Amino acid sequence: MDKIPFHKEILKINDIEALVEQIARKIREDVSGKINRFGGVIGLSGGIDSSVSMALAVRALGAEKIFGIMMPEKDSSPDSEQLATVLADKFGVSTTVEVITGALDGYKCYERRDQAVKDIVPEYDPGQHKMKIGIKHEGSGSKLPPLFYLTVVNPDGSEIVKRLPTKQMRTIIAASNFKQRARMSLLYYHAERLHYAVVGTPNKHEVDQGFFVKYGDGGGDIFPIGKLYKTQVYQVADYLGIPKEIRERTPTTDTYSAEQTQEEFFYEFPFEQLDLLWYAYENKYDHGEVGSVIGMSEEEISMVYRNFERRSETTSYLRMPPINDYIFI
Amino acid sequence: MENKRKIQDELFAYIKENTFKETESLTSDTMIFTEGILDSMGFALLLDFLEQNFKITAEDSDLVEENFESIDAITEYITRKNSSLVEK
Repeated sequence: MDKIPFHKEILKINDIEALVEQIARKIREDVSGKINRFGGVIGLSGGIDSSVSMALAVRALGAEKIFGIMMPEKDSSPDSEQLATVLADKFGVSTTVEVITGALDGYKCYERRDQAVKDIVPEYDPGQHKMKIGIKHEGSGSKLPPLFYLTVVNPDGSEIVKRLPTKQMRTIIAASNFKQRARMSLLYYHAERLHYAVVGTPNKHEVDQGFFVKYGDGGGDIFPIGKLYKTQVYQVADYLGIPKEIRERTPTTDTYSAEQTQEEFFYEFPFEQLDLLWYAYENKYDHGEVGSVIGMSEEEISMVYRNFERRSETTSYLRMPPINDYIFI
Repeated sequence: MENKRKIQDELFAYIKENTFKETESLTSDTMIFTEGILDSMGFALLLDFLEQNFKITAEDSDLVEENFESIDAITEYITRKNSSLVEK
């Protein structure tokens, strides 16, 4: 079948009601028919993805069959819990708050992370400074892979930025991943207690590009928005009546003490552009055709495709279930 | 010349040891990132190796393709950064 010409509105959902109904029907079939559970638990961050996932689950199963859990820790933005509460109230969903700071202290999450930060910036004091890490590409046309940088924010707002050696980079990431894994552990506690399924909240980019923690936020029993591009998540959010303050909030990682957008941490493009580029890459659109629509050169599109391919390949391990074909007898 | 050859040999050995790709066809002008010999973790580890092994500091401004795209390019980069490694 011939592809439709590439254009800026190519990801616009024409019949949102039909899409929402299809997703809701599948949630019902999966939860009741395949997983055999009475309802769903969902972690609520006050972000667009968990909000839309919750609203879809409510549409599918009814608010009385959904249980929302807010899981803040000491680095979380206070907005997260407040917005999640606004959302749950609007949709009539019961919630509980599980503060995970104590659990993370038990894992020495902060201690391990802060020691690695101090290795690089000896004056770092978690009581005084904020910190974050993010990736940086060396020039838009570079064929070199991106590298991780540490940013320590001084009390006066000035920043110390250092490239991270691999040892400290891996330690900071591994320690921070305790957060997502502690949350998944709590979600399964409540799911098992209620005989519910865990509704995971990753969107298509997170799944396909590996922007999740394996057995952390990459866990769950169903991913209702796992095939939706970010701009489509926003379209569905609008349709389902997700509160404006959530729809207008910039997606953040909410993982480090310093504020950090997802674009800065991982994606490198604004979502409007990223969605179109990823769609074009997946559907093998001609570089020149895509470039002329997006306003990039053929060479740049070629570079973007190559980086996507590399990202897809390097993160395939995250999407891989345990390898269990050790069939020798 | 002798030392440049030694640097190249060390780079060959390092890359062969640290890639998960087949390296039989690896040559000094193979584009190691374009060809997927090293990925992003591989690049970060390579920088650690260069800094420790050849006593150089890779500045942010050094992190350009021309300096790292192949073993030849890295060899030239190392010898520019640490001239004591090259025979007088």
